[in-house]
Amino acid sequence: MMRTISQNTVKTQKSVDLRDCGPEGCDIDWLSSRRHETEIDDVMAFTEFATALGWGDGLPVIPPTESRVREFLNRNNRYADEQICILPPADGECTVEKIAINAVMAGAPAESLPLLIATMEAIADPDFELFGLNTTTAPVLPLAVVNGPVRDLLDIPYQHGCLGGARTRATAIGRAIRLLIRNVGGQEANVTSQTTFGSPGRIGGILFAEWEERSPWPPFAERRGVNGDAVSVYGTMGTQNIIDTTSTRGQEFLEMIGKSLGYPGANGYSPAMPFAEMMVAINPVWAEIIHRDVPRLEDVQELIWKHAAIDADRLLPKHREQLEAQDRIVGGKAYVTVEPKDVLIVCCGGTGGLHATGFHSFGSCLTQTRALVPGPDHTDPQAPAKS
Amino acid sequence: MALGTVLDPTARSTDDISAPGPDAGPLAGKTVGFRLDEIWRAWDWIVESWGEAFQQQGAAVKVWRSHQGRTGAAGERVAAELDAFLDSIDIAVVGLANCGSCTGWTVRDALAAADKGLPTTAVCTEVFQELAQNLAARGGRSGLRLHVLPYPLNEKEHDEVTAVARSHVEGLLHTMGCTTGELKEASG
Repeated sequence: MMRTISQNTVKTQKSVDLRDCGPEGCDIDWLSSRRHETEIDDVMAFTEFATALGWGDGLPVIPPTESRVREFLNRNNRYADEQICILPPADGECTVEKIAINAVMAGAPAESLPLLIATMEAIADPDFELFGLNTTTAPVLPLAVVNGPVRDLLDIPYQHGCLGGARTRATAIGRAIRLLIRNVGGQEANVTSQTTFGSPGRIGGILFAEWEERSPWPPFAERRGVNGDAVSVYGTMGTQNIIDTTSTRGQEFLEMIGKSLGYPGANGYSPAMPFAEMMVAINPVWAEIIHRDVPRLEDVQELIWKHAAIDADRLLPKHREQLEAQDRIVGGKAYVTVEPKDVLIVCCGGTGGLHATGFHSFGSCLTQTRALVPGPDHTDPQAPAKS
Repeated sequence: MALGTVLDPTARSTDDISAPGPDAGPLAGKTVGFRLDEIWRAWDWIVESWGEAFQQQGAAVKVWRSHQGRTGAAGERVAAELDAFLDSIDIAVVGLANCGSCTGWTVRDALAAADKGLPTTAVCTEVFQELAQNLAARGGRSGLRLHVLPYPLNEKEHDEVTAVARSHVEGLLHTMGCTTGELKEASG
């Protein structure tokens, strides 16, 4: 009997025999990955084995035994052979099985599968330009911002230390994203990636959430048309700290943020990049003051955008001429983004305030947002019956 | 020590075309298409010099300038332009692979040309040769013709770059699979 399962996250649906039995059932082995025999009780011995094969990142990895991977999948009631996307530059087929294997290796919890699937879908969107991101000399990596109740379910940090350093399971989830980019996408320094310096974020990723309860603005994903549990990915060059211990008014904070973001060597001003976005994380203390003094989010974006522009005279003639040839000098200024709407605001961070974080973008990666879709419930009457 | 089985986390493609594709053959009467970019002025100067050499061999020369950003509406426009450009030429010379992402796009565009059956040569600088080869292999064409220029290149002045271009004409024609007679004439 042939049946086709229907799930929102499936890009390419396949017809497979005996779906009726469910992911756990029948005599079908849904796991099609190549098997390797190795030491599985000694993590360090396995890590040595995995590293020699080009898997992983050099940190200890958990052996993705069949039982661990099956348990991971069964807890999500997902079929292993669902193709989620193709990841460049290796153009590896990213299936649910590959996501589960890499998540197990990273130590990510089974509950993170919908987030990992949505993240893979988002970074594989052609408008995210993962191909350029994965091969470039730049240190760029996909940053992931989570919205919705899933933030707390998965312990995705949005308060103190949310961009790195908080003790949370999100670290393993972020690492799983990185392992997928390496193992399935094939990103490897000095092989397919020419990244000159790389980034600490290329180990554990940058995965955080918005502090929606303290944000004066609607959740970031909701502003992008996705309500509830969602993930947004953004190609960032890393984090840039902006300190301000002096300002007292919203306009002053925004001017300080904008002026701090504008420097000639940012990718947004590069002639290689026809456009860019600019994400800014604002702590909840500043966010409240900013919202008090500048109520409309559009005005917040515009103020940052205006102050982030740099005088064309600051550029060396050779640099200025290239931008002029691209019509990117407007009124004697070079803007880091084409329009104010491309300044992306998120609210997170500790209640100590005093700092904002700028995330300069790679340039041509356009931010993508996807809803998280859980696997079918075992008790869902619409789900395929099990034997 | 306990042995057991683990599942492979990778998803490498095994499909590959190891042949370089058709030779360019005689240049006379053919249209050689150069793919330029918006970053490397040295590549513009190289193409200027090579274009003159090819025209002396009786070829017509056509250029198309790519944008590195391939996303959104602009990306769709660039893809359509590339497709039309490739349909209008007989031989493709694609460059310049002189950074990470531009090596990626150089190889991608070269693979697109090769997939159309065009005699295709990608051009890179020394530092990015290995990346270009890796990306070509992962793109399913490990045999993609690749001509290698010295590095650094874009940091040189115009006359220095032109000298590099002239010294590489013979090597380029050889990589492209041009005939021996043309090699001698061009280098002479």
